[in-house]
Amino acid sequence: MKQILLITDGCSNVGTSPVLAAAHAFQEGITVNVAGVVDYGTIGELGSLEIAEIAKAGGGISRIVGTRQLAQTMQMMTRKTVVQTIQQAVNKELKQILGGTALEDLPPSQRSQVVQVVDEMTETTPLKVALLIDASASMKPKLSAVEDAIRDLMLSLQAREGMSELAVFHFPGRRGEEHAVMDSDWTRDAGTLRSLFQRLQMKGATPTGPAIMRVIDFFRYGTLDEHLTWRGSTDEGEGMLGDYVV
Amino acid sequence: MKEKGCSVITSSNPAYPAGMVITGKWRKGRFIIRRVLGQGANGIVYLVQKEGASHPYALKMGYDTLDLQSEINVLMSLQSKRKAADPLKNGPRTFLLEVDDFKGEDGDIPFYVMRYIRGSSLSHFMRKRGKEWMGLTGLRLLEKLNGLHRSGFIFGDLKPENVMVSDVGQVELVDYGGVSSIGRSVKQFTEWYDRGYWNAGSRTSDEGYDLFAFAVLIIQLLNEEELKKTAAQHLPQTRSPGQLLSLIQRSPKLKPYSEWLRRAIRGEFSGSQEALKLWKDTIYAPALVGRLPGKTPRWLMNAFALSIVIVLLAFLWAWMNT
Repeated sequence: MKQILLITDGCSNVGTSPVLAAAHAFQEGITVNVAGVVDYGTIGELGSLEIAEIAKAGGGISRIVGTRQLAQTMQMMTRKTVVQTIQQAVNKELKQILGGTALEDLPPSQRSQVVQVVDEMTETTPLKVALLIDASASMKPKLSAVEDAIRDLMLSLQAREGMSELAVFHFPGRRGEEHAVMDSDWTRDAGTLRSLFQRLQMKGATPTGPAIMRVIDFFRYGTLDEHLTWRGSTDEGEGMLGDYVV
Repeated sequence: MKEKGCSVITSSNPAYPAGMVITGKWRKGRFIIRRVLGQGANGIVYLVQKEGASHPYALKMGYDTLDLQSEINVLMSLQSKRKAADPLKNGPRTFLLEVDDFKGEDGDIPFYVMRYIRGSSLSHFMRKRGKEWMGLTGLRLLEKLNGLHRSGFIFGDLKPENVMVSDVGQVELVDYGGVSSIGRSVKQFTEWYDRGYWNAGSRTSDEGYDLFAFAVLIIQLLNEEELKKTAAQHLPQTRSPGQLLSLIQRSPKLKPYSEWLRRAIRGEFSGSQEALKLWKDTIYAPALVGRLPGKTPRWLMNAFALSIVIVLLAFLWAWMNT
């Protein structure tokens, strides 16, 4: 099972629409969850609308929280999405077997057995979560809380019976054409997730959409670089301004 | 909080008013709502009366069918294990009375009916009755946890709100939403009591997880101020069990239990059976029984010594006068 967890504090302003990018991800079988982080004031109507839409297109959940609740929220969203995805699959099976019946329509005695299966799969299904962190200037004061939340999430994932892996990316990159930078490759060890964002240079641009596209490619090919060589000719399709400005 | 569909945040669901009748969709049982008892992480609990019966029950309505069913599965499994262990015990010990759906305005709402436990939360009880009840209440709580562990589950989300105590100190665990099978990941937890929060170990369900939470709970009940300070003082990455251990070390209020607490925080108990034994030894140790309510103040000891001296002098005086 594959998930992208986007952590941001505002609107995207460069490149492909993040809602479209999330829809692409969902098409690829990757669920997209979004955590909007705000400590003071609000995220703005536009920002919260975009966050909700990204999650909707990505088949996931969105939440707007302060840094205090971030760790808890990320954990809840990840777990809930795993359950949701499995429940959808199981419901599909149920419909095939019983014809138009969802879990809610079953009498409680039969429901019990189905839920047992869902619980079992929730615990044992292999899970890959790619965290995509908005590192634009306004996120700077929140990054240490984000880092703690990532470690906390890893701790919860480690406790699962199924294989659970985490990878971490941030955006934008140092140069214009670099839309997402990998901070940690797939890992199962919380120890490797220390001081992730220390060398970051914060920039103003927020290319959320292009960054999501990069992470989708990472799920496909296992690396960001390979993608660059492989893509080459199709990059133009994303319509990014900074692409060829070096 | 619950999300409907994908991304809409709805505030906590409004509770149903007293007097409303909840009719089961499948079994047609009728329950009259008396009042709200509490709101858990995954549902609202009401005090209800079964129509035609005088007995009060607790009825839990879930926010999510799957979540609630998962909790019901645990309760059913516990119930059947208990019955197998002691087939004669039934009646009031049966905690799951009925499982059904209720046709609400926005669709079906799953619910279950269980036995009602009259009492107050552990922290309320301790405030009312005083700290000298800690030993006995703790013992009963540990027995409950041990029973759960013997059935192959851990409680997970142990905190004062999830422990009900009757006015005579009988203990019951409430909210089984966080119960998970031993070996699985812990489903639901609360920061302070979570082993992972203190960087003291994994979030895998083992008996030590509950014992750790129990230790934090004891620290909280006996010395909440210090626990608050300790939790607030440190950054998440520097938080460590060592901070809890030094809190135990320097707090006179925790002294009677310090050995037990240290072992639970360090994860040194082999299981809740051993923890239960040490707890018993601790609270029934001869030196402790007299001292538990608090040490005899120095002025009282001095006054006592003085009174003995006066008595002796009086005897001496009387003897010399005869």
